[in-house]
Amino acid sequence: MDTPSPIPPTPDPFPRRTGYVLAGLSLGFAGLLALFAADPGLWGRPPARPAVPPVDVKFLDTAPWRRSYADLVAAKEDLSDFDCYACHEKNKPPPIRYDANHRIILPKEHSNFSMAHGSHDRNNQCYNCHNESNLVTLQARDGRELKFDNSVPLCGSCHGPTYRDWEGGAHGRTSGHWDAKSGPSRRLVCVNCHDPHQPRIPGRAAAPGPRSLREETPPAVPVPPTSTR
Amino acid sequence: MAPPLPPAAPDKTSDHAMSRRSFLRGSAAVSGLAALAASLSPLRELQDFTSTEEFLQKYYKELTPEEMKRVLARIEREVERQYGIRPHVRDLRPMDGVEFVYCLNLTRCIGCRKCVHACVAENNPSRNPEIQYIRVLRLPHGSLDLEKAEHRYAAEQVPEKGYFYMPVQCQQCENPPCVKVCPVNATWQEKDGITVIDYDWCIGCRYCEAACPYWARRFNFAQPTIPRERLNPEMAYLGNRPRPKGVMEKCHFCVQRTRAGRYPACLEVCPVGARKFGNILDPNSEVSHILREKRVFIQLKEEMGTSPRFFYYFDK
Ligand code: HEC
Ligand code: HEC
Ligand code: HEC
Ligand code: HEC
Repeated sequence: MDTPSPIPPTPDPFPRRTGYVLAGLSLGFAGLLALFAADPGLWGRPPARPAVPPVDVKFLDTAPWRRSYADLVAAKEDLSDFDCYACHEKNKPPPIRYDANHRIILPKEHSNFSMAHGSHDRNNQCYNCHNESNLVTLQARDGRELKFDNSVPLCGSCHGPTYRDWEGGAHGRTSGHWDAKSGPSRRLVCVNCHDPHQPRIPGRAAAPGPRSLREETPPAVPVPPTSTR
Repeated sequence: MAPPLPPAAPDKTSDHAMSRRSFLRGSAAVSGLAALAASLSPLRELQDFTSTEEFLQKYYKELTPEEMKRVLARIEREVERQYGIRPHVRDLRPMDGVEFVYCLNLTRCIGCRKCVHACVAENNPSRNPEIQYIRVLRLPHGSLDLEKAEHRYAAEQVPEKGYFYMPVQCQQCENPPCVKVCPVNATWQEKDGITVIDYDWCIGCRYCEAACPYWARRFNFAQPTIPRERLNPEMAYLGNRPRPKGVMEKCHFCVQRTRAGRYPACLEVCPVGARKFGNILDPNSEVSHILREKRVFIQLKEEMGTSPRFFYYFDK
C-alpha cells in the first residue's frame, strides 16, 4: 500500500471572472426575492374562477305543484269556486253542453280550468265526478258521496291500479318521516299533482345544469335526432 | 506636476480564495433562501391551519363518547368561526334493524334537476368550484346505453320528447369498490348500508374516485366556498358538515336526516314522486312494496358485482 501523498497546492481553481458571475447571480436572486416579497401575486395564483350565482330558491321549494281543497281550507284561502250554490240552484243541476265535436263548452265562470281528462277527452262528463244531486260533493263510481277534501277514493274508483300503487307508496310522494316512530309523514293526494280536470302533468323549466370549472355557462347542447330504436 | 500615481492595488492574492468562497457561500445562502421561500409560498394560501386538536384526533371508530363530544364541539367552533353561524353537529349512528334502499321511478322522472339543487342546499358542498352529488343523465328513449347519455342538456322545457332521464348518485353498493381501495380506511360501509367518509381521516389520494364505476365521488380541489346564507346548520359528523380542501365527498343518503327518521332532501323536493326511500328490512315500507310489486329493475352496471342499493324501476 502506498502512503497518500500530500495534496499538491492546486492552482487557483476560480478565475476572478467566476467570482463576478457568482456575485451577479446572487444579486439577481436577492433582487428576485425582494421583488416576489413585494408583490405576492408573482408567486402565481390559481386563475380566478368565474362567479357561480346561487340557484334560484324556487327550485328548492318542496311544496307540491297544486293545492288541494283541503290545503286551501287549511290556508284559509278564498273558497268561492267551491261554493257551487252561490250561482247554481239546488235541485236544478246545470245542463252540460257540448259542441259538434263533442268537446265540452264551459261558461266563462268556469274558465279558470279547461277540461282535458284522458286522451281524446274521454272523461269530460262533469257528473262522472261531481254529484249531480248535490253539487258541493263528489261522487265515486261506486256511488259513494265524497266531500271535496276526500277526492282520492274518487280517482281510485276509476284508476284502480294507480290507486293501489299510491296506497303502497309506489305512485305519488310521501314527505316527512320514513320512520313512523321518529315523526309524522304526509302522503300527497292525487289532486296535489294532478288537476282533476286536466290531469296530465305540464312540462316545466329545468333547474340549471352542472358547470365545468372553466366555463362560465354550459354550452348549449345540440339536440341529437330522436333515436329510432 | 505629474498627477500622483494611484496607490498600488493592494495585493489581495492571499485572501483571494477566501473572497470567492464567501461569494459562493453568499450566493448559495441567498438562492437557498429564495428556494425555501418559494417552496413555502403555498402556505400563504392556507386560510385554515389544521388545529392541533384535529391533527391529534383519533380514528372515528376508536373515539370514546367523551372524545366524540369534544370533536363535535371543535367542529361547531370552527364552523362558527368561519361562517358566523353556530351549527348543530351530531354524530348519528345507524339505527338497529334498518337497511336503506333507494328506488327511482324512471317512468316518472322528468329531468327537472330539482333534486340536484335540493341536495346541494342540504349537504353544504362547495358552490364555487361547484360540487354536486347528483348527475341527471338524459338518454334517448329505448336505450340504456350510458355512452349516449348527456348530463348538460339545456332545454326550455322538460321532459323533452324522445328522451328519458336517469339521475345518478352514490349507489351505496353492498360491495363497494371505493371502500376496498382506501389506503387509510377513511371510507367504510355502515350497517344501515350507507358508505360514509370521515373527512378528518381522508388523505385525498382519490383512489376511491377512480374505483367508483358510477362517478359518484367528488374531490375538493380547492377551498370550498358556501355563501353564508345558504349554509345548512343542521349537520352530522359523517354527513354534511363543511369539508376542508383536499378531501373526498359524496352522497351519503343525507345521514343527518335519514338517521333521524326523515326522508332525504332529494326525495322531498321531487315534484313527480319518482324517488322512493326506506327500510328494506321493514316489509311494510314503501321500498319493500315496490321491490315486491314492480317487475322491471335496473341496477346500474350490475355486471360489475357492486350490488347497488339503488334500484331504478319502470312502472310498466
Ligand atoms: C261564479 C258562479 C259559479 C260557481 C261558484 C259555480 N258555477 Fe258552475 N256554472 C256557472 C255558470 C254561469 C254556468 C253556465 C250556466 C249554467 O249552465 O247554469 C255553470 C255551469 C256549470 C256546469 C255545466 C257545464 C257546462 O257544460 O256548461 C256544471 C257541471 C257546473 N257549473 C258545476 C259546478 C260545480 C260542481 C260548482 C262548485 C264546485 C260550480 N259549478 C260552481 C257558474 C258557477
Ligand atoms: C269516471 C272515471 C274517472 C275518474 C273518477 C277519474 N279518472 Fe282519470 N282518467 C279516466 C279516463 C277514462 C282516462 C283516460 C285513460 C286513457 O286514455 O287511457 C283517465 C286518465 C287520467 C290520467 C292520465 C292523463 C291523461 O289525461 O290521459 C290521469 C293522470 C288521471 N286520469 C288522473 C285522475 C285523477 C287525479 C283523478 C281524481 C281527481 C281521476 N283521474 C279520476 C277516468 C277517470
Ligand atoms: C275526474 C273527475 C272530475 C271531473 C270529470 C270534473 N271535476 Fe270538477 N272537480 C273535481 C275534483 C276532485 C275537484 C276538487 C279538487 C280539489 O281538491 O282541488 C273539482 C273541483 C271543481 C270546481 C271547484 C274548483 C275549481 O277548480 O274551480 C269546479 C267549479 C268544478 N270542479 C267544476 C267542474 C265542471 C264544470 C266539470 C265538467 C266540465 C268538472 N268539474 C269535471 C273532479 C272532477
Ligand atoms: C307526487 C305527484 C303525484 C301524485 C300525488 C299522484 N300522481 Fe299520478 N302521476 C304523477 C306523474 C308525474 C305522472 C306522469 C304523468 C304525466 O307524464 O303526465 C302520473 C301519472 C298518472 C296516471 C297516468 C297513468 C300512468 O301511470 O302514467 C294516472 C292514471 C295517475 N297518475 C293517477 C293518479 C292517482 C289516481 C293518484 C292518487 C291516488 C295520483 N296519480 C297521485 C304524479 C303524481
